[in-house]
Amino acid sequence: PAEAKKCADWIVSVAAIRDREAFARLFAHFAPRVKAYMFRFGGNSETAEELAQEAMMQVWRKAHLFDPSKAAASTWIFTIARNLRIDRFRQRKHIEVDDSDTALIVDTDPLADEVVSRDEHAVLVKAAMEELPTDQKIVVELSFFEDCSHSEIAERLDIPLGTVKSRLRLALGKMRGGLEDLA
Amino acid sequence: MNIKHHPTDQTLMDYASGTMSQAMELLVATHMTVCPHCRDKVAEFETMGGAVLENVTRMEMADHSLDHVMAMLERETANENPAVQELPMTRRIAVGESITGSAMPSIPTPLVKFLPDNVLSLEDVPWKTLAPGVKHFQLKSVESKGTVRLMKIAPGVSIPDHGHHGHEMTLLLKGSYIDDIGRFRAGDVADLDDDVDHQPIADTAEECICLIATDAPMKFSGFLPKLLQPFFGI
Ligand SMILES: [Zn+2]
Ligand SMILES: [Zn+2]
Repeated sequence: PAEAKKCADWIVSVAAIRDREAFARLFAHFAPRVKAYMFRFGGNSETAEELAQEAMMQVWRKAHLFDPSKAAASTWIFTIARNLRIDRFRQRKHIEVDDSDTALIVDTDPLADEVVSRDEHAVLVKAAMEELPTDQKIVVELSFFEDCSHSEIAERLDIPLGTVKSRLRLALGKMRGGLEDLA
Repeated sequence: MNIKHHPTDQTLMDYASGTMSQAMELLVATHMTVCPHCRDKVAEFETMGGAVLENVTRMEMADHSLDHVMAMLERETANENPAVQELPMTRRIAVGESITGSAMPSIPTPLVKFLPDNVLSLEDVPWKTLAPGVKHFQLKSVESKGTVRLMKIAPGVSIPDHGHHGHEMTLLLKGSYIDDIGRFRAGDVADLDDDVDHQPIADTAEECICLIATDAPMKFSGFLPKLLQPFFGI
């Protein structure tokens, strides 16, 4: 938990004072992970290195847009890596909700103020994921770390499509259930 | 807007992981604009993405990688003009639908960006007639996988009974329709998999406008509907 909070603080510090030391720590923690992410999609270590560098530069440039009350550092950096990957490998932008959209409907009945911070929450999700049985964990990982549909995952693992879907459903249920237990 | 039907969890997870077609992504983002519930769920799935990132086997960066990045950033920062810091993009305002009707108050930005420049409301869409009482407009997607179109259905008209080869999602923008699954109103999403067969009917005095995204062609079951298929081109 301390680690997740530290990462968020480092991003805030990069935004506030262009803190190079904080950036170096973020780089040490996230760059090798983002590189692994890019490698899984691109299959080439030079491209993965270049994209991991680019993602970290975006962390520097966009640090002022990071809101610790809305997302944990790992969540925010995951979305940066995801969007950069789609931009490079699929030559388009990921389509997102525009928060200043006049058509935006805001939550009139927000959940009671969350008991846990975004950082603590991210740590709980990570712990719940580690607890998953291997067969479920693999399906979750492939869903996020490979450009394949559920039927392609089924082919890869040589299991029926229905099994992929039920494992995923079980995993989601456990991760949510686990969160409720802990919250 | 009282939304009752949402994309499935698996669909929202594919959106968050960034592994769905652009056609599907457009539909999900348009729905999320009017659905705080799905925005929360997607945030949850993105947190899962962050957790997978945390748990992944790291791949060492090249020697001097950080120095290299830092040098490039130093250069950028030196040239930085604080006045031109990244500002939210100016957005074309979607004037349009009256708030009183059963339609979305205006066209959500994700969808506006896929419409021709002069289209500011659903009325301005350059509709093409497909069959009596059915008009459509095909949106341009940069990806070859999947199709996305707007469909306008006159009151009482029914779309031929059909099943799906792949994944199909329909987002209601105006009016309502009813099918074997239930009733869908503005903001609702019908998220249908390959095993569903249905026959939607625009069921009120008002026309029904919806956005339909598919990953694969629809398959029609009757003889007459087969004749329609070339028009649908889907
Ligand atoms: Zn929803
Ligand atoms: Zn259908």
